[in-house]
This record gives sequence, structure tokens and C-alpha cells, in this order.
Amino acid sequence: MTHSDSPARVPDSGATYVFAVCRDTRAVNSADLTGLSGMPGGGRVRLIASGALTAVAQTVPAADFTDEVWQPRLSDRREIERYARAHHEVVSAAAAAGPVVPLPLATLYLDDERVRRVLADEAARFHGALQRVAHHAEWGVKVYRSVAPPERPAPVPERPVAASAPRRGAPAPGAGLAYLNRKRGVHDRRERRREEALGVAESVDAELRELAAASRRLRTHGAALTGEQRVHVLNATYLVAADRADELRRAVGALRERTDAQIELSGPWVPYSFVGEV
Amino acid sequence: MTDLDFRPEPQPVPGPTTTNLADILERVLDKGIVIAGDIKIDLLDIELLTIRLRLFVASVDTAKKAGIDWWETDPALSSRASRSALQDENRELRERLEALEETSGTADRKKADKKANGKEEHRQT
Repeated sequence: MTHSDSPARVPDSGATYVFAVCRDTRAVNSADLTGLSGMPGGGRVRLIASGALTAVAQTVPAADFTDEVWQPRLSDRREIERYARAHHEVVSAAAAAGPVVPLPLATLYLDDERVRRVLADEAARFHGALQRVAHHAEWGVKVYRSVAPPERPAPVPERPVAASAPRRGAPAPGAGLAYLNRKRGVHDRRERRREEALGVAESVDAELRELAAASRRLRTHGAALTGEQRVHVLNATYLVAADRADELRRAVGALRERTDAQIELSGPWVPYSFVGEV
Repeated sequence: MTDLDFRPEPQPVPGPTTTNLADILERVLDKGIVIAGDIKIDLLDIELLTIRLRLFVASVDTAKKAGIDWWETDPALSSRASRSALQDENRELRERLEALEETSGTADRKKADKKANGKEEHRQT
């Protein structure tokens, strides 16, 4: 864990938190940001313009935005949810006025002047990203396969093969082999089901990619997030033109009918996942 | 910049409001344009983070059933539960193997003993 060496340099007057960068347009400038609270403890959500770009920003208490304060916060579900949703809310509101490039949660500068400098230094990248996401939205698609109740093999009559079998009790001849075969059978079935589910995931992804300007695979979630009844086999996200959103919805509906997989669609999102690779 | 900016219709965007936290976190944490801030806050690995966070709502029992016991092994977060499941299976297999070897070993020895006319050897467990 890297401990920040910067807190000492943070002035008491506060730090400048940047939510997103957008074009400096009339629509953006007239956007109503007054209803947004932004980060807990932060000042008014405002715009910092530089050249043709403007940052959606806020002054936050510097003491509340250090690595030391954030490490415990990252382990507190309620706290991180509060900050993540606050960030998301401002980014989404800004997006109502035009394309935005969201910055990652907790992107902070020492003052507004530093923000202007970054906007100027990185102008080409920001403009590239803005161009890419304009009039597009991000849609998340998750595919799950349900977990069948464990297939119980027919009990072997002559002797139990449970783990509780007495150690070194003399087993019937062939019991060990039967045990291994059964284990192998369970394993093979599991593998086969897994491959089928991955096949479905691939075909869902292939079909939706046809509709998308870009796509990206996110990490699939483990049992802690999905529950034990299903396995997450695809976590993908697509950049889709605004005028193709209905087509996407229909395609997902058709895929749901064609496959027995559970398919979840979420969106439209600000294209968080598609501003990084410019 | 372009005429598009002045189109009256808004962007098709403001995200789903009922979105679950994991969906938001995997977008706001490790996505987006890479721009260095002045103040470094280490946001951890998203996967580790979401697992850890979700467990704040799941009961310990649920988490244990799911094979996750990070509170015992964190920060490595390698699941001791799944590891021990594997160990259990290994031990079980070793025991089966031993039992098998013992049976065939005894049989072999019996044959050998008969041939040699020696006395039977019995090992007690």
C-alpha cells in the first residue's frame, strides 16, 4: 500500500475535486448544477474553464481527501457508496448537457490553477475522448448461468464413500476406483456445463458487439456478489449510439428467449468505460 | 466546438438510478481516462474491494457458505475455505489410496507369506 507523500503539501484552504471534463459550451455553462451536493463536505459544484474545455469541479476539505482517510473509507460499504454515488450523480448530471469524460473517483488537484493546467496539457486527449463518446451511451450486460443443484450420484450400496469413512477401514474392492470415477464424472459434467455457459456468453457478446461502437469485458463477479445460485459468465459493457439503444434492448430480449441464460441489461450509463483508450 | 453541441436534445445519458453499487464502483473506480491527480489516493483493486464491501451486508454465515473468509486471511484474500475444501478432498483421496494400497499390499504379502511358508503379518491400526 503506497502511502501518499502529498498530504503535507495540501493547503488548508481545500483541494479541488474534479468529476468530469466536458466541452466549454453554452449548454454546459447554462446547465443547472445548483441542485447537486457533490462530495460530502464539499462546496458548490462549479465549472473551471480552460480553452475549449471545462472541468466540473468542487472544492473539498483537503483533510478529508488523503490516502490515510480514504483507506478505511474503502472498507466501509456505506461510506464508499456515499462517495461513489455522489460522484456518479454529478457526472450523470453534467452529461445531460453534452458529452463528458468522467474522471475516476477521488481525482484531486491542489487548486483550480492546477486543474486549468491539466486541461491545457491534456486537451488533445480530452477532445479525442469527447468526440468518441458524444451521442453514445454505455450499456452493461451481465450473463449468468444458474447452478443446478449438485447432482447426487446413486449411492453405492456396498459401502459408504463419505469422507467420514473410518480411516483405514478395509474398503470393498473397487470402492476407491468407483469413488474416483464418480469424482471424475462430476468434474466432467461441471466442465461441460461451464463450457456451454461460456459458449452462450461468447455468442451474446458477439451479437451485441455488432450493435456497438466499442465493447469491453469487465471482470466477472464471484459468488460473494452473485449469490450461490448462479455463476457470472459474462460481464461486458458496450458503447452504443443513442439511436441504436432500442435495437440493443430488442437484441437482448431476443437473446433471453433464445438461450436459457439469465441476461441483465443496465444503462444508459455515462460512457465511463470508453474514455480511457484514446 | 461543433454544431452537435447546440442540439437541443440532451445526451442519452443520466445513468440508471437504482443501479447496484458494484456496477457503479466498477465504473467510477478503475475506469476512465488516466489523468494524474495531485493527491494520490490508492483505490485498491476493484475486485477485492467489491468482495470486501459486499460482505458488509452479507452475514458471516452466508459469506462462509460462499467460501469467503477474508477477515481471516485479508489482505491476501485467498480464500482459506476453498483452499481447505481442496485439502479435504486431497486428504480424502490419500486415505482412499492408502486403504487400497493396504488391501492389495496385504494380499500380496499373504501370497508371498504363503509361498515362503512364513507366518501372517497383521498390522493393526
